[in-house]
Amino acid sequence: MSAITLIHGLNLAAIYGLMAIGISILWSSVGMINMAHGATFAVSGYTTWQVSLVLKPIIAAAFGNSVMASVSMAAAMLASGILSGALFGVLIYLLAYLPIHDKANFAVRSLIMTLAINLATVQVLLYLFGPNQRGLPKIFGFGKVELLGVNMRYDQIGTIVSTFAIMLLVLAWLRYSRKGLEIRAMMQNPEGAELSGISVRWTALPVTMMTGALAGLAAVLLSQTIFVSPTAGATPLIKGLTIALLGGLGSIPGALAGAVIIGFLEAIVGAIPFLGQRYVLFSQFLFIITFLIIRPRGIGGLLDETRE
Amino acid sequence: MTMEAKTALHEIGNRHREILLYPDGNEPRSRMRVPLSRRHWLKWRLRHNPKTLVVEKRLADKKPLWWVLALGSLAVAAPFLSNSSLSIAAIFCMYAAINVLWTLIIGTAGIFSLATMAVVGLAGYAAAAANVYLGVPWPFMLLIGGVAGLVTGAFLALPSTRLDGLYYALLTLGMAEICRVFIQQLKPLAPSNGSINAVGSFIPSEWYLQREGLLLGFAAAFALLLGALLLFRLINSERLGLVLQTARDEEAFAEAIGIDYRRARSQVFMISSAGLGVIGSFYAMYYSSISPAVFSLDQLLLLFAMIVIGGIGRADGAVLGTAIVILIDKGMLDLGPARILLIAVIMMVVTLFAHNGLVGIREQFRNFRNRKKSEARARRTEKGGEVMPEEAIEIADKQEVYFRRFNKRLREELKLLITPDLLEEHRQKPLGRHSDGLSRVLNYFRRGEMADKYAIMRQPDGFNRYKIVALSGERGAPPRLVDDRIYETIEEAYHAVFLLRVNDLLES
Amino acid sequence: MDEVLSIRRLNAGYGPLRVLHEIDFTVREGERIGLVGLNGHGKSTLFRSVMSLVGWQNGSILFKGREIGGSRSTGAGRKTHSIVRLGIALTPQGDAIFPGLTVNQHLDCGAYSRIAWRERAKRRDMVMDIFAPLRKLEHALVGTLSGGERRMVSVGRALMTEASLYLIDEPSLGLAPKISTSVVEALFSISTEGRAMVIAEQNVALLSGRVDRMIGMHAGRLRGDVGHVSLG
Repeated sequence: MSAITLIHGLNLAAIYGLMAIGISILWSSVGMINMAHGATFAVSGYTTWQVSLVLKPIIAAAFGNSVMASVSMAAAMLASGILSGALFGVLIYLLAYLPIHDKANFAVRSLIMTLAINLATVQVLLYLFGPNQRGLPKIFGFGKVELLGVNMRYDQIGTIVSTFAIMLLVLAWLRYSRKGLEIRAMMQNPEGAELSGISVRWTALPVTMMTGALAGLAAVLLSQTIFVSPTAGATPLIKGLTIALLGGLGSIPGALAGAVIIGFLEAIVGAIPFLGQRYVLFSQFLFIITFLIIRPRGIGGLLDETRE
Repeated sequence: MTMEAKTALHEIGNRHREILLYPDGNEPRSRMRVPLSRRHWLKWRLRHNPKTLVVEKRLADKKPLWWVLALGSLAVAAPFLSNSSLSIAAIFCMYAAINVLWTLIIGTAGIFSLATMAVVGLAGYAAAAANVYLGVPWPFMLLIGGVAGLVTGAFLALPSTRLDGLYYALLTLGMAEICRVFIQQLKPLAPSNGSINAVGSFIPSEWYLQREGLLLGFAAAFALLLGALLLFRLINSERLGLVLQTARDEEAFAEAIGIDYRRARSQVFMISSAGLGVIGSFYAMYYSSISPAVFSLDQLLLLFAMIVIGGIGRADGAVLGTAIVILIDKGMLDLGPARILLIAVIMMVVTLFAHNGLVGIREQFRNFRNRKKSEARARRTEKGGEVMPEEAIEIADKQEVYFRRFNKRLREELKLLITPDLLEEHRQKPLGRHSDGLSRVLNYFRRGEMADKYAIMRQPDGFNRYKIVALSGERGAPPRLVDDRIYETIEEAYHAVFLLRVNDLLES
Repeated sequence: MDEVLSIRRLNAGYGPLRVLHEIDFTVREGERIGLVGLNGHGKSTLFRSVMSLVGWQNGSILFKGREIGGSRSTGAGRKTHSIVRLGIALTPQGDAIFPGLTVNQHLDCGAYSRIAWRERAKRRDMVMDIFAPLRKLEHALVGTLSGGERRMVSVGRALMTEASLYLIDEPSLGLAPKISTSVVEALFSISTEGRAMVIAEQNVALLSGRVDRMIGMHAGRLRGDVGHVSLG
């Protein structure tokens, strides 16, 4: 395996991990498969693009062409991606969680609702922006740096580092904060959480916002390598979903391991000459199917039993 | 001039909505049976009206009439439709057939499979390839499609017993993707971008896209839908379906009483897949071509929207949902991309307000009404067990209503008799001659029901130690202790029982 | 004595099923009440309707003079957390409620008020004093504990915050007699100074003679409480 493939795989793993963890956390705490995660991705991508269009002249006027300009631009884009993702999370919460969370068939109905949100969002984006692809400005700038004898692009380093930082933050938040304890309590027994003075409705909101923010972040980071388009969310959604399942729904370490495996698989298959990009999805599904047949609950999937 | 007294009579209950026939009681009873089976066409129930004692025949299940009405009107209207409407109707029939079989998999077998279009497409490809490359005539294409569907179904059914729910759904979703990539990579199909064209068809080539061809296409698609519905009926409501119904909620329990639900599930899955295969070959024949678009995610989502809007798990839901979505997607072409938006909005509205699609609304409304009734009943003063008017129509034995009313009035009267003097009288002399009031009260108590009747139990450890128990009212079930108090004399215990009963009377 | 909880004409049920019929029930400060009755006669439903967890309910439930009942037909559990925060602690029937948390975390979940959260270490200590066997299991997952220990954790969670009313549902259910005695024993060691406790129990012998009042429950109605006529 060449070092470039390694870095590429790590880069993909980081982005897919962001998507997968969002799906996994939302499933385990709220009990909802979020099919609108891809829509969140696309919406954040477009918002960031719009923000960058608006801010470009302003920042250029304020800082000229200095380092300050690119730093503030990067910060603004990351912030807008995360914020818009979180806001879209609120929309999902309002439409697909709040009205039906204590009604019959919630799991299936929320899945359908999010699917419908996804469909509708893609259509609205198509209507607003047309089917053209848009390129986001590079946050981390162009160029390469040689590190430990490996050539790395700036955006790859930036993506990997910022993803790991964010993931550590999220995991620490879930592990050590009081809200995290409440979320984990809600994951295991919503009624018991109510009996402990935790409002399930109000705890679900930060969870949806957080997972939305993760998707928004993934959108900004992935858009360094691909373009933003209305249907751009489909592939990350499917990848995130498969990784979340591969890792065992609800298991965050499992999702991380799954993201690394799938990321590298994609990088390797893409790098092998006679297979190439066309076989990437094919090989991933084949791998996951075999894996799931051998281990039906994924890598770390114990949660289904504990939920009962 | 006399004023005619006009009282508005309101129809209550469900009786005026029932379909009733009054057969001649002297004629021997005869019912038509479905050929080659012991089933009847319609579910007639014969009974005597308890009031008039007239024999009447009631139709217990009105759904077959609705089916005949809906499908019949479609069949009758078809020849008068315009060309474009006719092809929409044919497409509707085809998709409805697919969805009915899919409902069999998701609803009856309980396998959340998303590989429907994968099965349809693979079988379609197999049949089309056999026709184009091997020269198999078209009637055999249906057979080839069925066999291909069966094989694919058998292959897919293997992991279905091992994986559950979402994992299986994902696996089958991946299956569709793999099929698409696989077909697109096939070398012989490369020039046509993965599609097979010029497939032989039951529609003669000179009729293709002509009025006659469209009519024939519709007729065949309609027959296909009828076939799918027949298959649904044969599986869902017969042995396999009933076995699976028992296993639906309690798998472990079903297993414990010897139901091999896994086998039944894979059988249903394979049979439906064979059916889907037949539809796949029909699909290839109808369009006389097949392309990898059949495997696309959008197609699958559209299909999913259909069964979701109609309601998962019921054939009428599948057909209704298909009708709505096809009408929007194919019938309102001038709306452009907003069609998908409209479908998404319908999906959202239906999901927000209905627990299980449009066909579930009726049941949902009934549950809602029952709950409201029950609440309303509870909200009023509970009139000592007297039957409320809305409850009365649910009680078949009307004597029960009057008995409860009598009992309640009796209790009201007796409550007035209970005074401290009366209690004192009983305390002084639990047995023997009593005053009129006390005799009345005691007589009422003696007539009480066995369940919860209080009794005195002598303790085994001494002659003069008594406790009070309440009888269970069921054979074999022991009485339960009311409290731990021990009474030193039998008179004291008598009086305690009396007080408990008075207490119950006053509380009622 | 002050009335902590006063229930007037409470009806409750699930869907078309009506479980509680016109319940009148009062708990005063400092009382320890035993609620006895067979399975399926509405003991748990009574507790759950106090917490607003049943399908529908109507009637008045006054908690320290504040109305927490009222008519409600949907949204079971929506008000529960605020009722908990008013000062009612319910230990639900059956096993401990968060099997995937450690004993310490499980207990922390009970410390919902701001003060209790700040003092959670001290309060955990207090709970461990009552349920001594938990002390050496602090970091064990609740799901791996034995039935009796899990029940202790479950009850201990309810004790983490100062409540004025404890509703304990079936502390002995499914436990060996010796263990259930020790759990109930621990419950009786909690002082009811300034608060009240209602214990629902099928096993009358466990409670007899040790509670201030024993109330029977049968077919959704209260029996045996001395309401209208004084017994002797």
